[in-house]
Amino acid sequence: MTASPVPAPGPTPILAIDRLVKRFGQRTILDGISMDVVPGEIVCLVGPSGTGKSTLLRCVNGLEDIQGGRIVFDGLTVRAHARDIIAVRKRIGMIFQQFNLYPHLTALQNVVLAPVVVHREDRQVVEARARELLDRVRLSHRIDAYPAQLSGGEQQRVAIARALATNPHMLMFDEPTSALDPETVGEVLAAMRDLAQEGRTMLVVTHEMRFAADVGTRMVFMDQGKIVEQGNPRAMLANPHTERAQRFLQTIQH
Amino acid sequence: MANASLLAYAPVMLKAVGLTIWLSWLALLIGGLGGLVLALMRISRLRPLRLFAMLYTEFFRSIPIVIVLFFCYYGAPLVFGTDLSAFAAATLALGLHASSMMSEVIRAGIDSVGTGQWEAAQAAGMTYRQMMHHIIGPQAVQVILPPSVGIYIMVLKESSVASIIGYVELTATGLLIRESVGGGFTILGVVALFYFVLCYTISLAGGALESRMKVAGRGMPIGEPR
Repeated sequence: MTASPVPAPGPTPILAIDRLVKRFGQRTILDGISMDVVPGEIVCLVGPSGTGKSTLLRCVNGLEDIQGGRIVFDGLTVRAHARDIIAVRKRIGMIFQQFNLYPHLTALQNVVLAPVVVHREDRQVVEARARELLDRVRLSHRIDAYPAQLSGGEQQRVAIARALATNPHMLMFDEPTSALDPETVGEVLAAMRDLAQEGRTMLVVTHEMRFAADVGTRMVFMDQGKIVEQGNPRAMLANPHTERAQRFLQTIQH
Repeated sequence: MANASLLAYAPVMLKAVGLTIWLSWLALLIGGLGGLVLALMRISRLRPLRLFAMLYTEFFRSIPIVIVLFFCYYGAPLVFGTDLSAFAAATLALGLHASSMMSEVIRAGIDSVGTGQWEAAQAAGMTYRQMMHHIIGPQAVQVILPPSVGIYIMVLKESSVASIIGYVELTATGLLIRESVGGGFTILGVVALFYFVLCYTISLAGGALESRMKVAGRGMPIGEPR
């Protein structure tokens, strides 16, 4: 590696994104995104839909290939179709908007699968940990239920437990509450707050501004594939500097 | 009298039933494995593999099984440099044909698993094999199973063409018996009855297996959103 042109201020970032460009055919989705995430940070990505927030997450764990720039996670360069992408994915826990639980497995089996199959851990050790994790997201009574028997909020909490089971270095949430009934949003946010309190590194795409303000250490406002503004969530919500952020935050708060 | 003399042929008939089952099973096995390989080729990122699988499937779907059988039997010396026995040629022909049918069914099964499942498995760090084994396969099987039973029944009935090249399975046995007892329809009826019982049994067994799998994956939505 050549020397980084920017002198690193403070702790080393766990995730470094440098001038990332993502195109779908002719359409440019991400247009030169540069941002770092430092361990312990909770970065909330906000902005109008269709501005590439979810795509950004998907680029980070190689679910999408990229057309320009560079992503480095934990010292590993992310390349979507390379063999070593597995190493990156093993260290990132991902939570999807549509939960994506495995429908043929029970809640417990969903949590146990990756540590046993991917990380080759001992099944009994994993099962004990999975029970603890499900207990932590308040689902110890639903351990043997299949996803179709669970409410949306319950499914998403299982998905969180599943993501935690492999002890990831970072968690990525892709609009985790957008597909939920309003009355179950709270229980998922509560589980996420719980994680935030233990100092997890989190990258969260969300429209929940209250959550971002309470829990986020940084807010990144994206529009049309670019980072328009970023800073302390409370300060940004109270006093956005750019006009685009002002307009967006006004519409979303009403 | 005629019936009494037919009874004497019972052991021969039962042996013929056994041969028909054996032949169709082998063909289904080849069809299942071949179909799986073809289906994986069709969803591959490599264009030549996709093209080959597509051509194979279209080719064998559009050619009558009798022609395929003749190709295998009379063409074997040209391709393999050696004669194939009637049994081997019949197994090969039925297997080639069945694999083209199975590849479509397996591909449809794999396609039925939503993209969210592939992404969740990939995001968890699974390799292609792990993903197919633990996530995609078990879900696809529920979609693959019902039409596979239909394909097996088809193969079992198709196996009667083996009689044309002189393999003495159920149909050929029936025809030989008919000749030696001097004609009559009874023996044809008996042969038909044997086929019916075989197929109906498979159908029932398939149904039972299906409902058992539904219980195992209870509440599994087939064709979930996205």
